[in-house]
Amino acid sequence: MQHAVATLAGGNLVSLHWVESETTDTTMPGEMMMTTATPTAASAGVAETTGPNPISPEMKELQWGAGSFIVLFILMRLVLFPRLKKGMDARYAGIRGDHEEADAAKAGARADVVAYETALSEVRAQAATRIDAARQTLDNERQSQLASANSRIAARRAEADAQASAAKAAGRGQISEAVIAIATKATQIASGRTPDAALVKQTVTTTMESAGAQ
Amino acid sequence: MEALARLAAAAADPAEAKNIAAAGSAGFAYGLAAIGPGIGIGIIFGNAIEAMARQPEAAGMVRTTMFLGIAFTEALALIGFVVFILLKYA
Amino acid sequence: MFAFEFPPINEILRWQDIFPGFNKIALIAVAATVISVSLFLIAARQDYREAPTGSRNLAEISVEFIEENIIMQTMGRDGLGWTPFLLSLFLFIYLCNVPGIIPILQMPATARMAIPIFLAIVVWFVYNATGIKHQGFFGYFKSVLFPPGVPKALYVLVTPIEFISTIVVRPFSLAVRLFANMLAGHLLLVIFALLSEALFEARDKVLIPLGILPFGMLIFLTGFEVLVGFLQAFIFTILTAVYIAGAAHPEH
Repeated sequence: MQHAVATLAGGNLVSLHWVESETTDTTMPGEMMMTTATPTAASAGVAETTGPNPISPEMKELQWGAGSFIVLFILMRLVLFPRLKKGMDARYAGIRGDHEEADAAKAGARADVVAYETALSEVRAQAATRIDAARQTLDNERQSQLASANSRIAARRAEADAQASAAKAAGRGQISEAVIAIATKATQIASGRTPDAALVKQTVTTTMESAGAQ
Repeated sequence: MEALARLAAAAADPAEAKNIAAAGSAGFAYGLAAIGPGIGIGIIFGNAIEAMARQPEAAGMVRTTMFLGIAFTEALALIGFVVFILLKYA
Repeated sequence: MFAFEFPPINEILRWQDIFPGFNKIALIAVAATVISVSLFLIAARQDYREAPTGSRNLAEISVEFIEENIIMQTMGRDGLGWTPFLLSLFLFIYLCNVPGIIPILQMPATARMAIPIFLAIVVWFVYNATGIKHQGFFGYFKSVLFPPGVPKALYVLVTPIEFISTIVVRPFSLAVRLFANMLAGHLLLVIFALLSEALFEARDKVLIPLGILPFGMLIFLTGFEVLVGFLQAFIFTILTAVYIAGAAHPEH
């Protein structure tokens, strides 16, 4: 594992093995190191004043850095990322599903509203026809009743008219008889003779008729 | 530079003389390397700002491309910095 | 005037072994792995059906950051299979950068060449292997060395440049970018810390208030290093994604 540099594609197994030993090495004392090692590092600083050029990479740093990165990449590729991504995808799919569900529900509600409105208009039309029919029958009935009442009234009126005219004729006959009698009597008293009955009757009748006409 | 060279020549110890000369040329190396990228990054930033102001909806794309351009331009200055370190400490 | 002497650089950068073959850099690298692994293990224990909180939220944010800001921007949808690799790369580099500003630790593990050069070589193998897998051995080198759309006569010039830039310079610049950024940041912090210490403890009492200036700069630079540590991890990861995408689909 000295050559960790070139082994990303080819040496997965090798580096994984090495790396496992590294993680067991470092994760356990890692927390302690964070707290205990820093004073040493800070106080001691660095003793080496002479050393290699600062640009040249150092082997131990290269190894630890390469090992850490390879561990991170392998874990990320195989475990960490797929697990997180699965959750994210599931949630997004859920959200999208919810959206679609809501859309479907909205469309269903809209269809229900349309159906309700058509039913409503149908019922309304039916009611209107029924009301029209009822009104028609009512009208007819009223017409017929009106007609029958009118005919009844007309009959009654005709009857009453007939009675009235009969009574009138009768009254007029009585009156003319009385007038004839009076006229005869009056003439008898005035002239001493009995006038011709036929003449008197004719005269009275003409006079009464002219008076009635007037 | 000339003063430094004279100083280097005047130094008795040859190692000291080499150090002084290296320090001088290292400073010059970085100073020269910073000129071009400085101008270049200024041009990139200015044009990116203009582009973003003209088309704010393309700002994300412009920003990404701007960083790429800056990265490529800046590399020259950084190579100068590395040469500085190489000259001074090699 | 006051005692200010910059210590030899190896005194700042080379750490004594805590125990043989294991120094602070190794400790930080191992801690980065342990922290990432335990973060994801704790995150996976939470019920995924509920809205994520705490560690699960952090882990999911990191996954989504890689997917949205790095993969989708460079490789597109078919690069999503690279998430575990890029995620471990990002987390490892970031957790190696961050100790540069954590008190007591105060050392970015990436300010030593070992980890950057290792990661760069890994990336070099990965993107070359991807190119060979997707285009075949000769197809890959043909598309690298003889980029299409270049006049034939220019290949004399283009091919050596492409060879050097793709095969040689890329891993080198990837490693040097990370290393030099973190080293420069670390050296700046050291310089201002030493300067403020020297001024605060100066024998001449007039100088003591002046120590505020480098101390303020130290605080500012510490904040700046937070940004740089994140940015360098991001840039390393996104460059890796760009290289892989370029090797897998040369037409882009």
